Amino acid sequence: MDRSRSKLTFSLILIVGVLTVGPVVMLILGSFSEGLTAFGRFTLDKYVEAYTDPALLDVIVNTTVFVLGSSLLSTILALFLAYLNNRTDIPFKFLFKILSIVPMMIPHLLFSVSWALLLNPSNGMINLALKNVLSLESAPFNVYSLWGMILVEGLLDLPIAYLIIAPAMASFDVALEESSRVFGAGTWRTLVRVTLPVLRPAILAAFILGVVRSLASFAVPSVIGMPGRVYVLATHLYQMIATGFATDYGKAAAVGMSVLAASVTLIVVYRALTAESEKYVTISGRGYRPTVVELKAARIPLFLVVAALSFIMAVLPVAVLFYTSFVPYSMVPSARAFSMMSLRHWTAVLTDPLSLLSLKNSLFLGVAGATLGVVLSIFVAYVIVKVKTRAAGILESLSYLSFSFPGIVIGVGFMWFFVQTPLYATLWALLIGYIATYLPYGIRPLASAFVQIHSHLEESSQVCGARPLTTMRRIIVPLLVPGIVSAWILMATMFVRELTLSVVLSRPGTEVLAVQILRFADDGLWGRLSALGIIMIGISTSLVVIATLIGAQFRAEESAG
Amino acid sequence: MEIRIQGVSKRYFSEGKTITALDDVNLTIPANQIFTLLGPSGCGKTTLLRCVVGLETPDSGEIRIGDEVVWSREKDIAVPPEKRGLGMVFQTYAIWPHMNVFDNVAYPLQVRRLPGDVIRQKVEKTLRFVRMEGFEKRPATKLSGGQQQRVALARALVGEPKVILFDEPLSNLDAKLREETRKELRTFLSELKITAVYVTHDRVEALALSDTIAVMREGRIIEVGTPRKIYFDADHRFVADFIGRANLVKAKVRGHEDGHTIVDCGLGAIACQGRDLPAGSEVTLCIRPEFIRIARGEGGAGRNVVSGRVESLIFVGETYEGEIRIGNELVLAKIDPDAGVKEGDPVRFSLDPAHCLLLAI
Repeated sequence: MDRSRSKLTFSLILIVGVLTVGPVVMLILGSFSEGLTAFGRFTLDKYVEAYTDPALLDVIVNTTVFVLGSSLLSTILALFLAYLNNRTDIPFKFLFKILSIVPMMIPHLLFSVSWALLLNPSNGMINLALKNVLSLESAPFNVYSLWGMILVEGLLDLPIAYLIIAPAMASFDVALEESSRVFGAGTWRTLVRVTLPVLRPAILAAFILGVVRSLASFAVPSVIGMPGRVYVLATHLYQMIATGFATDYGKAAAVGMSVLAASVTLIVVYRALTAESEKYVTISGRGYRPTVVELKAARIPLFLVVAALSFIMAVLPVAVLFYTSFVPYSMVPSARAFSMMSLRHWTAVLTDPLSLLSLKNSLFLGVAGATLGVVLSIFVAYVIVKVKTRAAGILESLSYLSFSFPGIVIGVGFMWFFVQTPLYATLWALLIGYIATYLPYGIRPLASAFVQIHSHLEESSQVCGARPLTTMRRIIVPLLVPGIVSAWILMATMFVRELTLSVVLSRPGTEVLAVQILRFADDGLWGRLSALGIIMIGISTSLVVIATLIGAQFRAEESAG
Repeated sequence: MEIRIQGVSKRYFSEGKTITALDDVNLTIPANQIFTLLGPSGCGKTTLLRCVVGLETPDSGEIRIGDEVVWSREKDIAVPPEKRGLGMVFQTYAIWPHMNVFDNVAYPLQVRRLPGDVIRQKVEKTLRFVRMEGFEKRPATKLSGGQQQRVALARALVGEPKVILFDEPLSNLDAKLREETRKELRTFLSELKITAVYVTHDRVEALALSDTIAVMREGRIIEVGTPRKIYFDADHRFVADFIGRANLVKAKVRGHEDGHTIVDCGLGAIACQGRDLPAGSEVTLCIRPEFIRIARGEGGAGRNVVSGRVESLIFVGETYEGEIRIGNELVLAKIDPDAGVKEGDPVRFSLDPAHCLLLAI
């Protein structure tokens, strides 16, 4: 028993190690080697060249402003929303649920595109409308700027920041605040002196995760930054490897090493902070609701703010894409626009061989990749939770490592990795890269499912006379089903929309949806882009629905005997 | 069915240290009795139980259940838990949350592939026995702690095992429910002809439930006996101290006199229960507080008269707990609420030699 478990642990360490450390090693080797491969002669030239590039300074300044600005925006918004939801008498609290979950269904790429469609300086819908109404000479807003990038990225990172801060706010022990009030502090003073400091680990964690995500973000910098010639590290790297006359992977790797190092460091800090915030959180468990702050006159205005935010986050992007896919060119919604609507872009997309190929590829990657990824995640989560040896600890750290990998950096490592194998330029290369990069998305729900399966539940089945396979079938798998379903959904939706890794690894013949959409954006084919984008959202949503139905079916069967 | 455990040892390796959970345990658990393994946490009692049921593998030794050897290092026998045909109630009850009460209880029969109507009959009978009839369709997640405990018991009993094992089954219940369930369990088990092995660290539970108690410490069995023997007549100082509150006084044997052993100690010369100990040997005198009764107008007559002074008094409801200073010794005693003594009062009491227990170490 023990021996087979440690065998399992070591083979998993090997697999996950190759998947996560492999590309990093290739990246390091490549950054120090001459020529285009990872195994050339040792040289420091790439580093010298990369870090003496005069453009780099601008890129670093832009990146810093972009990353800090968007994280600040998402954290402040999340804090505001979490406080309103948990501690005030604001009406229609279901809106907060929508705000925290629905935007995750909308791919970042499409969210960014919808803002470009609304606010671009030449024919953005809001700009056009304002120009007409106010008879302005030029467009009042330009989304193709650092401010535009910060706004869009900040909104994109809002749900994840909310999901970190809201639970901390909800399980906050109100007695801490009440005692501050008893000792004479007012509401505002209590908020500043007690509530916010106690929530500090959660707030910092949300901020740092925002930094990591915006540092790795490629959708916003490419769709919104590049047209305005605002380059950040992700697009700077992309330029080196995907555009221009001479692609230089080595130089990209040299720059990427710093991004990777920063990202890994931040994730280590983040994990320490979340552990700390769990320590801070004190659930009193006495079952009474925290005292609710009465908003009085501010109730309705604040509610309108939340409603507007929900509209912007969940409804507007899809509506804009939907509308754009039917009108011939960008125009403000009007009677004329509605009369000119047609299925032109849809037929164009559905007869375009490249779009159809990318559709097929993404569907395959979503279904096959998520299935394989979940199988691997089940074993890894099992070892992490149930086999508590030091080797299991190593496996845990390894498997969460990829969480901190910026896709575009690690993509270069993967590329060098796959060039050594016959998998290069096949869908399998993308599939393996996806699973490696998104492994934490599969492990996390499964690990929490395993935590809930107390070892006594298995043992008691054994004592009742069930053979190991029967125990597996009747006890463990049914209890895991919710975890399996959510892991599969998370991975499948991630894979269907995947962009950053794909722009590096995708080759002719292995195009995927996001890459094809980015190509439409580069060519300004907004109508086709929107049609394909709606198809992408449709696929994600159907995968979610199907997986949920299968899960429910399975549970119904089990309870029927 | 009798259980024989011979020379069983078990070591764990954790963080570079070796922990001896079981140290050459030899024990015979008689058939059709309630047998309790009692000891402080970490004494190896749960490990021993898990070795019997097969969830843990010993490093050496042999375990027999009835006539069957279920584990033997030398003979290379290791019967897996599912083939041992035992019943067990876990500390957490381990009620499967995705099944209802019926499926939980029916499970041991279902895995044996019994026909459906037989299963239904047996489950119904067992649920009636644990007074849970009518709960068949109730989801497992909608059961209270006491109900879960009964479902777990029903599941352990439904397959009519010859041996049933309990791993601290009452420790998850609150104090009042624990007391009720303990009585109920005693009634259930004495109605059945079954060998029950019960693990607990709660001495009251052990005394109230068991036919026989084995006290464990640091992976060894220290003493085995009936509850009365363990409580009144323990051979080991650790056992006497663990099983109840006791005044332990250092003493030296002076001699023997008409069936009593006379010792010298801080309380004076005390006549004790007869023990075959040589004069001059160092012993411990053990007196339980409930046998030091100080009541008004009493004391002063008979043997073993001791006088002292009340140092402190604590009211605990049915009685006062008083600390009585006798020279250098401080003795805990129970004092009737109506005895009318106050802190600082001089008092006298007598000790019945039958309740003055001598321990060799």
